[in-house]
This record gives sequence, structure tokens and C-alpha cells, in this order.
Amino acid sequence: MSPRARAAFMVTCLGDLFYPEVGERIVRLLRALDVAVEFPAGQTCCGLPLFNSGYHRDAAEVARRTVRLFEGSEAVIVPSGSCAWMVKHEYPGLLAGSPDEAAARALASRTHELSQFLVKTLRVVDFESDVHGRVAYHDSCHLLRGLHESEAPRALLRNLAGVEVVELPGSDECCGFGGSFSVRLPEVSTSILDRKLANVEASGADCVVACDAGCLMQLRGGLGRRASRVRALHLAELLARPRATRAGGGPRA
Amino acid sequence: MTARAEFMRRLRAEMAKTPGLFTAAPSPRPARPRERVELLRRELAERWPATLERFRAELERVGGVFYRVPTAAEVPAVIGDLARARGFTRLVSWHEAALGAECTRGLAAFGLDVQAMPAGVPAVPERDRLRAVVAAADLGLTGVDLAIAETGTLVLLSGAGRPRTTSLLPTVHVAVFDKDVLVESLEQGGLFLEAWHEGEAPGERGAVINFITGPSRTADIELTLTRGVHGPKEVHVIFVEQGVEGVGGG
Amino acid sequence: MSDTAPELATPFRERAGKALKDDFLQQALEIATTKFITLRREAFGDFPAGDALRDRARAIKEATLQHLDRYLDQLVDNVERLGGHVHFAATAEEARDIILDIGRRTGARMAVKSKSMATEEIHLNEALERAGITPVETDLGEYIIQLAHERPSHIIAPAIHKTKGQVADLFARELGRPVPADAEALTAIARAELRQKFLDADLGITGANFAVADTGTIVLVTNEGNGRMVTSLPRVHVAVMGVEKVVPSMTDLMVFLSVLAKSATGQKLSVYTTLVRGPRRACELEGPEEFHLVLLDNGRIDQIAGTLREALYCLRCGACLNVCPVYRQIGGHAYGHTYPGPIGILLTSMLKGAPAVKDLAHASSLCGACADACPVRIDIPRMLVELRREVSEEKIAPWSERLAFALAGRLLRAPRLYRLGAPIARLLQRPFARGHTIRRLPGLAGAWTRTRDLPAVAPQTFQERWPALERERP
Repeated sequence: MSPRARAAFMVTCLGDLFYPEVGERIVRLLRALDVAVEFPAGQTCCGLPLFNSGYHRDAAEVARRTVRLFEGSEAVIVPSGSCAWMVKHEYPGLLAGSPDEAAARALASRTHELSQFLVKTLRVVDFESDVHGRVAYHDSCHLLRGLHESEAPRALLRNLAGVEVVELPGSDECCGFGGSFSVRLPEVSTSILDRKLANVEASGADCVVACDAGCLMQLRGGLGRRASRVRALHLAELLARPRATRAGGGPRA
Repeated sequence: MTARAEFMRRLRAEMAKTPGLFTAAPSPRPARPRERVELLRRELAERWPATLERFRAELERVGGVFYRVPTAAEVPAVIGDLARARGFTRLVSWHEAALGAECTRGLAAFGLDVQAMPAGVPAVPERDRLRAVVAAADLGLTGVDLAIAETGTLVLLSGAGRPRTTSLLPTVHVAVFDKDVLVESLEQGGLFLEAWHEGEAPGERGAVINFITGPSRTADIELTLTRGVHGPKEVHVIFVEQGVEGVGGG
Repeated sequence: MSDTAPELATPFRERAGKALKDDFLQQALEIATTKFITLRREAFGDFPAGDALRDRARAIKEATLQHLDRYLDQLVDNVERLGGHVHFAATAEEARDIILDIGRRTGARMAVKSKSMATEEIHLNEALERAGITPVETDLGEYIIQLAHERPSHIIAPAIHKTKGQVADLFARELGRPVPADAEALTAIARAELRQKFLDADLGITGANFAVADTGTIVLVTNEGNGRMVTSLPRVHVAVMGVEKVVPSMTDLMVFLSVLAKSATGQKLSVYTTLVRGPRRACELEGPEEFHLVLLDNGRIDQIAGTLREALYCLRCGACLNVCPVYRQIGGHAYGHTYPGPIGILLTSMLKGAPAVKDLAHASSLCGACADACPVRIDIPRMLVELRREVSEEKIAPWSERLAFALAGRLLRAPRLYRLGAPIARLLQRPFARGHTIRRLPGLAGAWTRTRDLPAVAPQTFQERWPALERERP
């Protein structure tokens, strides 16, 4: 039987180096949803750090590589809102006027951030979680204001049995990561993070969930340093498996 | 300084680098705004009670005080009461041609010392004297040319017999209006502005139009809201059911 | 005349660091920005037409800029027809000279000013003082910072960095008598002090929030009423305005009025919107005998076809400051220029060139909250990235940074080399890693680890795990 969908997984540089277990979970989860997952070899980074720092010629070359790497894929799944945004919103512009422009546009249109792919493309919102307790959701800036998505991750969290989603004051405020910003102005970045973590701790959550490896690195970095009892998790770390239904297969939204 | 021609030449040179960048257009201008205003007035006349209610709510929200009286003859009593409650006696008002004679008639009976503004423009010494009187006044009485319900705003045109400072320098601003000047929205207010500027203004029109939305306020010290920093500390607005002669229409 | 503030002697990062350690400033910023954010949100929440009107407002700005010559000509002709005088200033210096000239010719001794960022931008007060004309700021916040010899820290709340105790001390020093530290009492004192100045001043100086081309009208928006005072009482009124402030018609003006105050203070409309057309008319008892409009370029015209074109849409409402995570932490002074916050970085670059903002261009996490809050939807993050691009491509950025990014660019295009990175990093991190965490790194990497843990490079990267994962396939 042919799978329900075919997708290529874009692990992202932070996901590859620091959070490989998140990537593994995503691949297994997608397979459980009857999605055939490929992993095009030779992946590096989407080029967002170069782009945001103003090194657009280099960013364009990285974009060109990535576009060609994913040329044959049906759908491309990205576990970080910022990288998905880079591919979807900046690649076409970076490669405008080049022979790769059309391919960049095509890649942009078939690239999906993970939560959006689950909820909007596969229309699956019911999962089981091995994590229980109170959970707060942090809107990563690129997913919220770049891809205009605030609902999909929340819907996934709300439907988890054993998980209570608590209101996070200022959930739409930046965590202070901002790529190179976090090391160019570390004091300001940390000060923004402190504000975010104060809100997280005040929310009474046991864990704070994000859909972006950058935010995750920042949140975990701060929580770890203050020896907080709160954990920071990627959304995929709460989605252990699709919830079984009598109808069989992945339940539909 | 740069000459106009040189300034504009540089501007055009830069503009020439961006031909056809956008397709956006400014707002469509109402054709024949005066006619449109007359149509709008007729339309609004049918639903003024709702408009008035909204105006009252918004005015109170911004700290204004609303009164409603049947006829202009009751206006002096309202002013007299609020003056007495504050120990105020000095009142300046717009000229009666701009305000309607009935509103000011009998104010003296309430112990008020009334100085009406002249319709014409006297010589400089008299103008200086009047300025000092206005600056020292407790109450300033004006009409209203437009009352915008959406925001609780009074619109006042300056001109002959209706100086700018009557609603500005005294501690308390009292304004009298009726249903003819009520509009619902800022957008409708815009139509009146277009109409007032259609063609050339006649000689009686002043140079200033003021939108007044409640008493003067500031929050510049620790964001503490404080009323009456430069303009009036209080704004009292009296609605006259049967109309105010002389008010409205600019 | 130096355009450089004393703060600029220290690098931006240090200025920001100082602000972070200022407890009072931190508290004031927290209270002010939170309050402004809430008020703005409520105002628009209550106003279903808001989104459409913001689109409309943006479209009007686009359209106006597209035909700016036509609208400016129309404005100038109308102002002159109404008996006003129009002056053209290519630079800040020209603008100052024009105003000083008006002051000298009319024998002015004192000038009352209503709040105007344009006159801040051209550093008018110092020039007036040197010419023997006493400038008096009459917006309460501006008055306070003038007494303190400081500059505004917020576009619409210039003195949010001051406590009422500090304000009371300033007033006491000015008046030579003790003054209570109470907002109401302080406001009453300012009212009395400034009332006399309004009546005595010869010159009234304002900015302009808008100018309506069609009617030759200058529009001033204030809450205190000082804009009305300044345009009613002195003999001469001078309005200073950036060329981009012109709007075509009264119909257009109403669109902007509908969104401006909501964005700035959460009011539906500011208390006073004053529409001024030229000097006193013959029929009027009062008003200035002379009206002057100074049209200011000062870097704006260059951006009509430049990367910062969109910044010319700015209404100076301050909404982007309030929502900016960086501004909320460091406040306005740390930026070191007239215009603070995210839009301020763009405007500073417009006025002073990209090299002036080589550090400031990076004072943003690019979170996009500014663009979201902007009433005319200015894409501030995109322009910040463009500025960074200018800074890197024009070789304004330090060579070490350019080298590092060039190497990174090569690395990310060479997957085999890139894959070698993980094992090398694992080797290098060994002395510093405890389990999955690095708590301290030397050198530049310490910028992260001084305040935050860093994840160690995983024992096996995803790419290294993939072959096994692939075999799992059912």
C-alpha cells in the first residue's frame, strides 16, 4: 500500500547538532502517521544566520544549495518556525533573477513547519504524550508573526490527555534569542530572557513548549542556569504517538 | 535655505528613480461635499437619539460632563449652578451671534461676571485687554460646530465672534450644542471638513479648527493621569433639545 | 554645532549595559511599556475597523510618496495663498538658520514650543539659546527634561525615565522653593509657570503631525493643549515639518486620526487635534500675525528611492518602542540619538547614514513585534536586515566579523566539511561539557555561557543517527 504522504525532513543545524532526539521523534511520529520520510543527505543550515546578519550573498548560495538538495521532495517538514520562514519567505527573494528562482518558489510553497503540517496538511490533532502535567506554550516570533501561526501548536497541546495547558503571560513576546543577537548583545538578550522565564515560572507550568530550536536553546540555557524545575521542550517531545482510534490509522481533525 | 525650485528639483530627481512602485491611491474624495453633507444631515436627523447616547457615553469616558436641557433658556441655570459649586464668577463667551442670545441671557442673575467676545476686531489695546480677561476667566462658554459621537469630540471653528482661546484659557470650558451638529463618526466628520473647505472660505471664517475630546490631560509624570495641564481642567457639554439658535454649520 | 550626544562616547553595548543596571529605569520602562501595550490592545480590540483603516493609512502613505512633488507643491501654494510663508531646508543647519532668521527679524526674545521631534532632530533649542532667544518646552514631559538638560527617552512620553521625586527636585531648583513630589501638584505648578510663558512669548514653534495638501492645513495633535496655546498666543508661529508628513486631503487625514492616538496612547482620539491654516484672519480677535512653514529634508528625500523608503510612512506614535523587547530593556537614551527604538534606528540611519547605526542595526532580535504594532505596518525588521547588509557589504562591519561570516558561508556550502564539524566540536568541548551541558566557555563563546547554559554537541548528531533510523522503517 502506498503511504498517505511523502515528506523530506529538514533537520536544521541546531536540530542536527544539539537536539537529534527531537528529529528522531519527528521521523518516528511521521512514520506512525503513515508518512514516508526521506532525509536528503548533505544538509547543513538554511542560511538564516547569514541572512539576518546582512551577509546576503553567502545566504543566497546556501539557499541555492538547499533548494537543489530538496528539489525532488514532495513536502518538506521543518521543526523550527524560523528556518521554515527562511525557506518560505526569503529564499525566493534571495534567488530572484537566478536560474533557481522558480525552484525556490516551488520549495517555498511545499515547505511546512511541523505543527502546521500536522494540523493543516495531515489534519491530525490527537496525540498521546509521555509527558504529563502543566504546560505553557511560547510563541516563537517567526512562527507567530512570520508564518502567522498561533493555533496549530496550541490545538495539539490541548488535545493531549494528561496535559493541562496553562496561560503564559506575554506568550507572544520574544525570548531574546534572535540568532547572533544573543551573543552580540548578550546582556540585553539575557535580560529579555529573564523576563520571559519569570513569566514561565509565574504561570505554574512544569514545562514550556516551543516550536523553534533557537528559542529552545535560549529557554533551556536560562532555565538550566537558574536551576529551575521547569523544563523547556520542543513540541515534538510531547507528541509520542498518534492516539489510537477505533477507526484505525491517524485520527483526523 | 534652499530655493523652492532647487528643493523640488532634487525631490523629483529622487522620485524619478522609483516609477510605478505602488498602485496605491489616496482616499477617494467626495464629489460635491456640501451636497453630501446635506444628505447626511437628513439621514442623521432620523437617528439622532442613538447618536446622542453614544456621544454622551464617549464624552463621559474621556472625563467630560454631559447635561441635557429642553430649551436654551435653561442653559444659564446649568452654568450658574456649576459656577457656584466651584466658587467661580468670571465667564467669557463667544459673541451671541455665534452662540445664540438665549444661552447667555440671565447669566448675570447667577452672580456671573460675563464678558462676551466682540463680533468685530477692535484695536490692539482692546484686544490686549480682552486677552487678559480671557486668561483670567474661570469659565469659557462656546457653541459647537460638530459633535462626533464615536470619540466624544467637539469640533469648534474659529472666526468672527468665536475666538480660539474661549475654549482654551479658562479653567472650565462649557459648550452648548444641539442635534443638528451631531455626527456618528470621524469619517462623517471628514465629510464636513471637506465641505467646509469646498471652494474658498468666506471672510468670516477663522484660520483654526479644533477637535476637543475631553479636558486637557497629561500622563508625563510617572504615567499618572492628570487633568488640566494647559487647557481646561473640566469640559461641560450642554445638549439643548429644542435647538440652539446661532450654533452649528460653521 | 555637534550632532553627537555625550552618550555616544561609549559604545552601544556599554550604554545598554548601564541602562540594564539602572533599577529605576527598569521599573519605569516596565510600567510604561506594559501600560501602553495594554491600552493600545484595548483600543484596537474595541475597534473592528482598525485593521482595514491601518491598511488604508498605509496605502495613503504609499500613494502620497509616489506623488510627493505634486502634494508638496499643492501644500506650498495653499499655505502661501493663505498668507503663510514656506521655507525649504535641505539640512538641519538650514532649518536652524531659517528659524533663527525669523526670530531675529521679528525681535523675538522667547519661544514657546509644543512637542516636536523634528525640532529635536535639528537641535533647535541650543541654536535658539545661542541666538539670545529663550526656548521654552511646554509639553510637560519635554519641560521636565529641558529643566534636567536631558533628551527625550520616548517619542510620546519624553520623561518616563524620571520619578516624581526627581521632577519635584528639578522644579524646586527652578522656582527656588520646595515643591511636593506629587504628580497633580507638579502639573499645577507647570500649568502656572508655563501659562505666563505662553502669554509672554513672541515666537510659537511647533512640529506638524500632518499637513493637508488640499487645504494648506497644518495638523497638531496634543493632549495637554500646548499646541493650541503656541498657535494662538504668540505673534509668530513657525511649524517645522519633514516633507513626508503631507497627506492629500481632509478625508485622508481622518483615516490617520482614527489610528494615531489608538496606537500611541490607546485613546480613541487625543484631546486636541488642531487644524491651522496660515496666520490670523482679518475677522479673528487673536492668532499669530505671521505663519511660517519650514519643510525639512535632512536625509528624507534621499530615501524616497532608498532602502528606508518605508520609514517615511512613520507617524511617530511610539507603538513600536513599547512592544520592542530591546527598547523595553534599555529605554530610549541608550540608543544615543534623537529617535529611539526600532524605528529610531532606521530614522537615525536616514539622518546620519548607515555607519552611524553599525551597532544599532543589530540592536534587535528581529522578533517582528514592531511591524505588528505599527499603525501603517512599516516592515521595520526587513529594513534593519537591509541596514545590516549595507553595514556588511560596505565593509563598515569589522573585518573579523566579515571573515567569520565568510568562513561560515563557505562551511555551510560544503557538507563534508560541515559534517567534520561535529566530531571536532565534541573534541574541543570535552574539557567544558558536563553531560549534555556546557556551563562555561572561554573567549567569544563566553558571551553565551556567562548567563546561559549551552547544549553540548550531541554524542551522535541526527545525520549520524540517520542510517540507523532509516533501517527502522517498517
